[in-house]
This record gives sequence, C-alpha cells and structure tokens, in this order.
Amino acid sequence: MKKNNLDEDSLLIHRAQKGDTGAFNFLMTKYYPRVYASLFAFTKSKEDSEDLAQQTFIKVWKKIDSFRGDSAFFTWVYRIAINLAKNHVVSSNYKKDKINISSDAIEMDFASHANPETDLMHSQSLNNVRSFINSLPENLRTAFTLRESDGLSYEEISLITDTPIGTVRSRIFRARESVLEFMSQESTNEK
Amino acid sequence: MKNNDINEKLSALYDGELDESEINSVLDTLSSDKSLQKKLSNYALMSSALNINEGNIQPIKSKNRLNPNFWLSNGITAAASVLLTIVFVNFDTINFSRLGPDNEAANRLSLAINSKEAKDIASLSQENLVDHVLKVINNPEFMSSNNSDIDLRNVGFNINGQTSSQYIKGNESFRLRLEKKNLGINKVRYWKHGNKMIYLVPLADGRVLTLYGNLNSESAIKIAQVIDQ
Repeated sequence: MKKNNLDEDSLLIHRAQKGDTGAFNFLMTKYYPRVYASLFAFTKSKEDSEDLAQQTFIKVWKKIDSFRGDSAFFTWVYRIAINLAKNHVVSSNYKKDKINISSDAIEMDFASHANPETDLMHSQSLNNVRSFINSLPENLRTAFTLRESDGLSYEEISLITDTPIGTVRSRIFRARESVLEFMSQESTNEK
Repeated sequence: MKNNDINEKLSALYDGELDESEINSVLDTLSSDKSLQKKLSNYALMSSALNINEGNIQPIKSKNRLNPNFWLSNGITAAASVLLTIVFVNFDTINFSRLGPDNEAANRLSLAINSKEAKDIASLSQENLVDHVLKVINNPEFMSSNNSDIDLRNVGFNINGQTSSQYIKGNESFRLRLEKKNLGINKVRYWKHGNKMIYLVPLADGRVLTLYGNLNSESAIKIAQVIDQ
C-alpha cells in the first residue's frame, strides 16, 4: 500500500504558491500521468481526458494559493480533476451515459490489428517492466520499490536497509535509469 | 559526471528529497534542458505505470513474446504524448497568470494538443461508435440482421440450431455482425457490458466485425482472424 506523504511536495508547492512557474511545471509534469489516468478511468475517452487534464492544471494553478496541505497534493488535484469531470459529464449531455455500460466498463485501444495477439497483451508490457525491476540487483530493487511502491521517504528506506541516505538516493536514481533504459530498448526493438 | 549529478538531483527532487538550497539549480536547468524535461516526464510515467490499478486493465494472457510497445499500448500512452507536448510548450511559451481568466494559456494548451481536424475526426468517430454500441446493446435485432452464416467450426463454434444467429462453443456464446463501413476505427476496441463483452475488430478489407456475447478475448481474436482470411 502506497503511503501518502503529505510533505513530499511541500517545497515545490510553496514555491508555486509564490508564483514560481518552474516549480509548478515540475509538479504538473509529475502528476499529469496520474491525473490523466484517473480521468480516463472516469470518462473512458482520451479526448475528454486530455481536455479535462488541461483544465485541471489550469485550475490548480489558479487555486494553488488555497491549498493548505491538509491532504496530499495529488489528493487535492485529484478532487479538482474529478469535479471537472463530473461537471463535464452533466454539462455535455455525455453520450456514454446513455449507453448504460456498467461502471466496470473497460475499453482498450491496441496499436494495430495487424498482430492482434501481440497487441492484446495490454498488461504484458507492464509485467515486463516489473519483471525487469525484479531482476535488478537486490540493493537497487529494494530501495526503488520501497520508494515507488510503498512511498517511503529516503530516511525510512535508510533505516530499513541500514544504509546512508546518500546511498539510498543514488540507488533509487540508478534503478530509475536502468528501468528507463529497459523501456527505451523495448520501444526500439519494437520499431 | 556533471550530467549524472543533475540527473540524480532531478530524481531526488522528484521524490521530494532534494535540499532546498539545490532546488533552484535543478529548476533552472530544467527550464532550458529538454532532455531533462523528458526524463522528468518519463519518471512520472514510470511511477504512474508501476502504480496503475490493474483492476482497470484486466490482464489478458498470451503465449506470445513480450509486447515492447509499452508507450503505445495503454492508457498511459496518450498521457505520454500529451504530456511531452504540454510540458514542452508550457516551459517554452506559457506564462501563467493568476490575475484573471487565463484564456491564452488554455488556448495554447488546447492548440498544442488538439487540432481542429483531429477533434473533428475524433468526434465523428466517437459518435459512430457510440451509436453502434448502443444498437448492439439495446437492439437484439441489430445483431441478427446481417449475419451471413459464417462457418466458424474450424475454431470450434457451431451455429445454435434454435437461434440461428448465435454461435456456441462450451460456455461461450455470441452473435456477430459485419459492417461495410469502418466506423472510424483502426484499432481493436472492446467493452464489458454486464456479463457480456463487445468486441469491435477492424478487418484488413475495411469492414468492422462486431462480436457480442460471452466470449473471451482469445476466442474473439481467433474468430476475427478466420473472418479476415
């Protein structure tokens, strides 16, 4: 279970509240995929999710002064996003509502139908990444997963693994670089 | 060495673990370094992907090789492409202002992502799909109206003698329909409706196959391949 770290973004949020667009850009980049994924789960439409994600971050920027840190930043952003999505559904006479598809409806796009069996492995690529992570050296894997999956701070990871914080930071960075390189290779191989 | 240093700082800032005194230098570099911006985007995508709720994905097993098309085969994909556009446009050109309605920023973001042509096509495509899926779900006649008695016995499905438009194999049963128009889709799409599935499969000759019923994805693909031959 990922832990909510209320303080994780506090420095960047504080800067954004003072009008620092660089800090805001950082936060937007960090949370855009999660906002988009949440909106997509709600709307089942890429186009709507893109539009709503844009609106969400414009609204976040305008309202960021009112963020008091009572919840995690993403929770606050998420609420804005979902409220926009709900209003959008109501105001646009959202056609998908009329379809009466159950709430667990799913929709997936595949890259092409030329090789549908391959394309159907929607989650396989994620599994590949997870397998790759499992194949990382134990010290990198532990630090990375404690951070990414469990949301632990560097200090907590340092205590658990009995290693200096600087080493934790370095291991997480090296793990990230390795995963990105793996993803890049996978993408290149496909081309 | 210097690159590794700034990259490691970026990773630490991403985790909210960079000393305050070092944040300025990372943000300054980030504002002008596109490769660093891309790395940050990729960190975010990685986190999102690794923490994705698999209940929304519904894993489908396959014996095939890896699907390396990570960035092009799931919901996060669109986020990836949009994200890069948004972030880069934003870093370069947008100066947000909280003093009033920021229509300019909204417009630029919108322009960066959705051209009119793309929106028109998407909108038309979506409407066609919605109408089609509505008919599949709500109108039983619709799925029986153009069944051309396709022989699917080589994939184990027999036509139900009593309801001639229904195909059956074990616990699986479905109806099919072929559209001459492509409904604006060029990718396989499917939905879950109650206990049933709806599959829309674009075929090589431009037609679209609709399958509706209790049918798993592997069977749906086999059927589509038979019809596509």
